[in-house]
This record gives sequence, structure tokens and C-alpha cells, in this order.
Amino acid sequence: MHPHCSIVPPHLLAHLAAVDDPRHAVAARAARRALVQLDPLLAGREEAFAAPVPPRTAVGRPLERRISDAGGQEILPGTLVRGEGDAATGDAATDEAYDGLGATDALFRQVYGRASIDGAGLPLAATVHYGELYDNAFWDGERMVFGDGDGDVFGRFTRSLTVISHELTHGFTQYSTNLVYEGQSGALNESLSDVFGVLVEQHHLGQTVDQASWLVGEGVFTDQVQGRALRSLAAPGTAYDDDVLGRDPQPATMSDFVITTSDNGGVHINSGIPNHAFYLTALHLGGYAWERAGRIWFDAAVGGGIQANSGFRLFADVTQEAARARFGQDSAEHEAVRQAWAKVEVTG
Amino acid sequence: MRVEISRSGGFAGMTRTWSLEVSPAEAEERWLPLADRAAEAPQEEESRRERDQRDRYVYHIVIGYQEVTLPESRLDEPWKELIERARRGSTG
Repeated sequence: MHPHCSIVPPHLLAHLAAVDDPRHAVAARAARRALVQLDPLLAGREEAFAAPVPPRTAVGRPLERRISDAGGQEILPGTLVRGEGDAATGDAATDEAYDGLGATDALFRQVYGRASIDGAGLPLAATVHYGELYDNAFWDGERMVFGDGDGDVFGRFTRSLTVISHELTHGFTQYSTNLVYEGQSGALNESLSDVFGVLVEQHHLGQTVDQASWLVGEGVFTDQVQGRALRSLAAPGTAYDDDVLGRDPQPATMSDFVITTSDNGGVHINSGIPNHAFYLTALHLGGYAWERAGRIWFDAAVGGGIQANSGFRLFADVTQEAARARFGQDSAEHEAVRQAWAKVEVTG
Repeated sequence: MRVEISRSGGFAGMTRTWSLEVSPAEAEERWLPLADRAAEAPQEEESRRERDQRDRYVYHIVIGYQEVTLPESRLDEPWKELIERARRGSTG
């Protein structure tokens, strides 16, 4: 099957591929093969096949979540407390992580036809209650890890769906562009996590571009902090302004690009620029952001045009090419992407 | 002797700074040798696990004339103690 000739939508292929009934074994096998060929990354890049996918992992394997509890220690993975299909535990962090992984998988699987973060049904793993008063959430290369917050600046990190989807998107990026976590490529890595982070929330809540908050990490600050969230895609630099923490340092345009050695060269700072380019694209197109703007960014991420050391300019070119390929040279989508990158001063 | 600790990165991407005073004797005995070793150690090959980590903190620690940058994944117990003391506002 040629990637562009498929009449079966990817989400249906993914569903078929997951069927475990011997009567439909042939169809399931065909669907799994089609999914591999449909995904240009899996079809075209040898390293994708060499990716650390566990043995016997079937392409199109259904969602499988595993939530573990570190019990306040800095150990991984901790004790498994909720597996796929298990009832809610009553522990807020565990159940929020479980639901958040489901919402993230739903966007990638149902909208973009990608089975899990690797496109091959990798089980999704998270650890909650990591460390004592641990004030961070991170991706460790295999799982996402959530602290309970220090109770002073940060509360529980799983309170915001965008934190969960941000972390899981680091996994998606690891299995697609694998952008180097330093400087501009690192800021693009961060931006992809913010972009798909907010899209997961918008998709989950059924929000249009106008209805969405475009905030990352809303609700993770305690009441003592003056701020709504950690980052804003709509207005970078405005998410918080606090007496102790200072002001949100994100720029929206290249004129305000921050040169720094901290934060791996400002990966969480300069991500404001590509974040805002995505927001402007989505705003221009209206409706549900995941349908067109999100589709273009997804196509760009899995299309093979982004290199691990790509900077903003190459990323801008690849998203414009992705818009042209899917929607046409004279399409509103192509024009929206072109204007957005010009407005944030990445292109002329 | 003044110790200044700057923590950048993390999911939030916020830079936080803390400082504390330690006695010259404590600095000479405990922290300067540790910082010297960390600063002079050849850059070890990152493990695949470390290379794939995202949103972790990076610590920059200045002790008198010596400074060292350490990823969170390489903070061992003495450094954690120093950071904890600085965060609590201890003057050691």
C-alpha cells in the first residue's frame, strides 16, 4: 500500500490492527502492515525499526497504561498501582496520570492515527509521588515522572492535563525527530511538547481556538504565586508575574530571543517563539486547532524533514512544506503557516 | 565562604537561586574538593538514559573561586545536602 493511496483512515487501521480475534487475524495483520507503511517515519527510516520497542510489540497494539507509585522516594519505577482497565484507585495523582495518558493517546491515535508515542503501541508508563516535596515533572526516556510539588510554589503536577501531555509528547519526539535538547533544537523539542500538550487538552474538552486557554500548566501553582500558568502560547511572557519568582521570560518573536547558557541554552524560554507561531497558525484557521494546524505540525514531526539539530528556520520551512503537501500551494493552511513564521520573525 | 546555587530548567523552566555561608574550614574539607573533582573530571560519556531525559533541572554551584555545573541526574548525596541547606536558608 502506498502511503498516499490509503482509503482506510489511520484511526480505523489502528483499531483493526488491535483486533485480537483469530477470525480477523488476516485483516489485523494487513492493518498492522498498512500502519507501518502509512507512517513515513516507520516506512522510511531504519533507525525507527531499531528504536527500543520491546519484543513482540505489535504495531497498532491497543492503549496500555501502567501507573507506578514511588512512595515519596527517588526511585524508579516504584510499585505498580494501576494497570490498563483497573478501577480508579482513589489516589488523585495516580488517577489523574492514568486519565491524562488516555487523553494524550486519544489525540495521537484517533486524530493522527499513531498508535502510542512510538507508532507501534508502546505501553505508556508513569510514576507518581516521586521524591519528597519534589517540585518537578520530567520524562526520563522511558516514563514520565511526577513530583507532588513543594506545596510552596508548586502543587501536584498531575493537576494539569497539559503537564501530562507535555511529558508524554517528549516521548513522541524521542521516537520521531529526536531533536537535540540544547539551544534552538531544544527549544523546538520543548515547543512540540507545549503544542501537543495544549492540543490534547483542547481535544479532550472539545474546545475551539477561541475557547481554549492556550496555557501550559494551569493550576500547578499554589495560591501563593501570582500567575495563571507556566507558559502561554497565545501571549508568551504573560503567564506569571510574581514578586518572588519574577516574570515569565518567554519571548514571542526573534527580536526578543534570549541568549543564555542556563536551561540548556534557554530551551524552556525560546520555545515561546515556535509556540506563538503555532498559535498564530491555529488562530488564522479557526475551528479546532488539532484538525489543521495540529495536523501540519504532526506531519512535519513525522515526515523526516526535521533533523535532530534543526533550528527554527528549518522547522519553519518544513511546516510550510507540510502544509503545502497536505492542503495545497494556494491553500489557506499554507498561507496561515507562512504568515505565522513571518510574524514571529523567523522568516522574512 | 559564600556558596551560590542556581537551578535552571525543569518543566517550569524557571531559574531559582539560593545561597548560604559555610565556614572556610567546611568549604576546604567538604565542598571545594568535591567541586574540584567535578570540574576537573573528564566529561563522562552520557548514558542513553541520561541523554533522553527531558525537563530535568541543571544546577550551577559557585563556591568561592570554584564553580561547577551538574545535571540533576548526577547530583549525589553531598550535593543534595548542600542544596537542601541553601533552600532552607541555613547558614551551616
